[in-house]
Amino acid sequence: MNDVLVWLHGDCLNPHGPALQAHADAPRVFVFDEALLTQYRLSLKRLAFLYECLLEIPRVEIRKGDVAAELAAAAREYDCSRIVTAESVAPRFAQIRAALQREYDLTVEVVALEPFIELSSTEAARLDLKRFSRYWNPLKARALSLNQSFDW
Amino acid sequence: MKLKTEFNDREELIAYLQETFPDAAARSPEISETPGGRKAAEAALAQIKPERYAATRNHLNGAVTHLAAYLRHGVLTLAEARRAALLRGGKQAEKLVTEFAWRDYWQRVYAQIGDGIWKDRESLKTGWRPADYAEALPDDIAQGATGLRCMDGFADELRQTGYLHNHARMWMAAYVIHWRRIRWQAGAAWFLEHLLDGDPASNNLSWQWVASAFAVKPYYFNRDNLEQFTDGVYCRDCQHYRNGCPFEGTYDELQARLFPRADEGAFKR
Ligand SMILES: Cc1cc2nc3c(=O)[nH]c(=O)nc-3n(C[C@H](O)[C@H](O)[C@H](O)COP(=O)(O)OP(=O)(O)OC[C@H]3O[C@@H](n4cnc5c(N)ncnc54)[C@H](O)[C@@H]3O)c2cc1C
Repeated sequence: MNDVLVWLHGDCLNPHGPALQAHADAPRVFVFDEALLTQYRLSLKRLAFLYECLLEIPRVEIRKGDVAAELAAAAREYDCSRIVTAESVAPRFAQIRAALQREYDLTVEVVALEPFIELSSTEAARLDLKRFSRYWNPLKARALSLNQSFDW
Repeated sequence: MKLKTEFNDREELIAYLQETFPDAAARSPEISETPGGRKAAEAALAQIKPERYAATRNHLNGAVTHLAAYLRHGVLTLAEARRAALLRGGKQAEKLVTEFAWRDYWQRVYAQIGDGIWKDRESLKTGWRPADYAEALPDDIAQGATGLRCMDGFADELRQTGYLHNHARMWMAAYVIHWRRIRWQAGAAWFLEHLLDGDPASNNLSWQWVASAFAVKPYYFNRDNLEQFTDGVYCRDCQHYRNGCPFEGTYDELQARLFPRADEGAFKR
């Protein structure tokens, strides 16, 4: 029994991504989101780029269609009850995740990616995003030092 | 539906993609020479030159990294890119790391506002109302048939390669929004069709920045600026160089022409 299915999506196509590392033997599936391709009218060169990224991921399974439905079909086929995937801020990601839980009763576990700069959750909440400079000024010194544990 | 994952070569892959995604192939069949994948991403990362980047990045021939598509799709993380830049460039990597930070910043804004990236963040400072801008992108722009060598060259490059230098993106966006008075959303959607690094957050919020929906003033440029950072390669044989180049003039002259109704205060630097 596999239990875990790794869901690969367009915000993390790294063969060494954290979901794949944590579940090295699990089946891994990417789904071309047909509704999204139509909505964004993605050109063939963009699809080719994504496809080439995917082909470097060992044992990858590639599908197209409705993402939640395809993932649910793969989970049934491989007898998995849990889906593990990398984080994404895209609203579409949240929708699919909710559909997997609501419509297919699949648990979705989201793994964090290594952040650009380590921030505590209070620091992250305090960031001012009104303008780039307001976000960047307090982080700059830390971002430019190789040692992440720089104190500010 | 399951798709194939074994191919003998790139040609076979492309033929398969044409069959599998017929709508995309009919609309825009071009394939970029830029390869996808982690190996290509690592090769690009090994080539970065943080010090030269800082000195030349605004120039079309500058030492830019071409990392964007790999970062966009998480083939590489910003954390890896940042480490590589600092290891290679030390203090000299400041400019490059600051550009990486722009991506992090736009992603954080995206996390906060989601599909709000398609709506004006702030009111425009151009003196024009949103309704003054046309809804759709005219064909001559997308087809590279405006007669302006620079803009036509950028449109062709975008379509063929899926890449444009940052400065070319800025000029093209400013032309679409301010010279042609088209809604930034139409230009943003066009870029997302083609850019291999097409990212809803980085792209739309940059278009908003040019439009002045996410900035204190609109971004615009003049011919001297474009000529300088392109070594004049477009201007050299442009039929409009001596005859009606829309970008010719001082910044003050262009401001008066493009934004006659704008509040003066918005343009004080
Ligand atoms: C109108 C417009 C649309 C844009 N659309 C996109 C887009 O869809 N996707 C995208 O990644 N970038 C976008 N950018 C930002 C920038 O132009 C590109 O990231 C950059 O040109 C990509 O080329 P490069 O990798 O050689 O960049 P480099 O100059 O070598 O920069 C290194 C990396 O830093 C990041 N970066 C640099 N500048 C920016 C910036 N202004 N905003 C966000 N990230 C930045 C990118 O990840 C880039 O790969 C847009 C800019 C404009 C003006």
